[in-house]
Amino acid sequence: MAAIFKRETRAYYTGMIGYVTAAVSLFFLGLYFSNRNLMNASSDFASVLYTITMILLFLVPAISMRSFAEDRRNKTDQLLLTSPVSIPAIVLGKFLAEFVVFAAPMAAAAVMPLILTAFGSVSLLSAYSALFAYLLLGAACLAIGTWISALTENQIIAYLATFGALLVTYLMNGIQTMFTSGSVLALIAFLSVLVIASVLTGVLCKSLTAACAMFCGGSAALIVLFVIRPTWLLAAFDSVLSALELFSPFNGIVGGMFSLTAIVYYLSVIALFLFLTGQTIERRRWA
Amino acid sequence: MIEVKHLTKRYGRRTAVDDVSFTVEDGCIYGLLGPNGAGKSTTMNIMTGFLSATEGEVRIDGHDIAEEPLEAKACIGYLPEQPPLYQDMTVEEYLLFVAELKRVRKKGDRRVAVNKACRRTGLVGMEKRLIRNLSKGYRQRVGIAAALLGAPRIIILDEPTVGLDPAQMIEIRALIHDLGRTHTVILSSHILSEVQTVCDRVLIIAGGKLVAQGTPEELAGKLAARGIISVTAQGTREAVLAAASGVEGLSDLRVTAEKSGEVSFTAVSTTGKDLRGALSLALAQAGCPVLSMNAGSMSLEDVFLQLTEHTGAPEQKEEA
Repeated sequence: MAAIFKRETRAYYTGMIGYVTAAVSLFFLGLYFSNRNLMNASSDFASVLYTITMILLFLVPAISMRSFAEDRRNKTDQLLLTSPVSIPAIVLGKFLAEFVVFAAPMAAAAVMPLILTAFGSVSLLSAYSALFAYLLLGAACLAIGTWISALTENQIIAYLATFGALLVTYLMNGIQTMFTSGSVLALIAFLSVLVIASVLTGVLCKSLTAACAMFCGGSAALIVLFVIRPTWLLAAFDSVLSALELFSPFNGIVGGMFSLTAIVYYLSVIALFLFLTGQTIERRRWA
Repeated sequence: MIEVKHLTKRYGRRTAVDDVSFTVEDGCIYGLLGPNGAGKSTTMNIMTGFLSATEGEVRIDGHDIAEEPLEAKACIGYLPEQPPLYQDMTVEEYLLFVAELKRVRKKGDRRVAVNKACRRTGLVGMEKRLIRNLSKGYRQRVGIAAALLGAPRIIILDEPTVGLDPAQMIEIRALIHDLGRTHTVILSSHILSEVQTVCDRVLIIAGGKLVAQGTPEELAGKLAARGIISVTAQGTREAVLAAASGVEGLSDLRVTAEKSGEVSFTAVSTTGKDLRGALSLALAQAGCPVLSMNAGSMSLEDVFLQLTEHTGAPEQKEEA
């Protein structure tokens, strides 16, 4: 794992991505820090981080896109997978390298609240908990991007798909309000998810019967639920959408609600997507 | 030692490797020979744990590649068909990385191992060069050097000489020959002469099946015990053929040339016995003096063609 981590980190700084990430992060961080905190004499550093979360949308895919897609295209995955290294170690090594590239420029953010203390009283606790949450949020986004990178050997597709996925989670708060009216919409949404899941199952298992059985059984259950307990369906749908709101726990922390739930949520997202990455690579061996 | 038992790999409906079993003994150079798309790369990718088998098992020094992948992989150095090189690293950086990947723990040990591998593969002086800028032959050497790191007992090379110029080919073959003194080497190739000159034992694969195995001499001998005799004798075609067909054990008479009272023909000894004496006596008795006579056995090339022809048209090259 250490070998992969070191090589990947060095590769980010041999190419441009590491430096571009640092430049973009520092530029926006500096811009909003000067504007909010210094020029307007505010002690609220967390709001600076809140404002710059948008850069995650285009920065994270740029970091994560190459992680597995490039290896596969250059066939260097053959070296990694035939070396005495386990797949979880490969995934972890690459993920940690991505995280370092993402987090390194944020060292500047760690100094900024201290600068503010020279001018008056600053809530360091709120500033640093926001920074911690920001790093976790970035790590969760990177885990999603890493998984998408493992699905393709084309880095541009990995970038676009990750960008799209992150954009949907970013906008999920607004999207959610569109779906609060009526459980019919919830039923339709669940049914379409079921269709996609069934098709995927059919393709992966290479069995039409499995796909049909899954769809018939699932839709029957959904319709029964819809007839008997329509509110359950709506509530379930709502909570699914809430779970996809990747950015809102961070926003909560910035707003002063530091919660263990938010931390656990981000750690779960990271674990889930790194697990999926490992499974995707393992699955390809069986293709 | 590698034991491969009933190995099968299916891609959807296409069977790339079909019930292949063989054992690789220590200290020999093995050649996996077959036309393109015969399943050589797939077999090697399964043996090294890059792909998983649909059925069957592979044991490397007693470690099952599916059950104990890390232990099994530690015994193998693998050079895939396309060397897995990171273009943006220098030769030295890359080899140090591979050494660490192969669990050479101490930094000093890694340096020593890399220096040794570089000396062995003729990379001395190239350490600081970017891999991106190396020629194909040198990239191949870097790939072989990487396979040597971590002191594996078994080296697996997939088509190590493809795409090299003749001089580089000879160098790489010499290198493989040299490796054979210290390692068990398995290489794949579709070039017959290469396998014949380099390998101690040959496994011929065609259409995903193992069709023959043995030493190059054994294969040429066992499968072509049928010796070919080519003769030129004086006389009419009818008289010569009548005399020759009278010899017991001789068949497949074929006239290859005929001019002004001289007939050239070939015949095959089905029993494997040398029938030159009997044939020349028979011809002399029929009043057809023998002008020339040559005996030759089938080359490995003939055997190879004979074996691989009947197993169907070569399929599409599998994805590595």
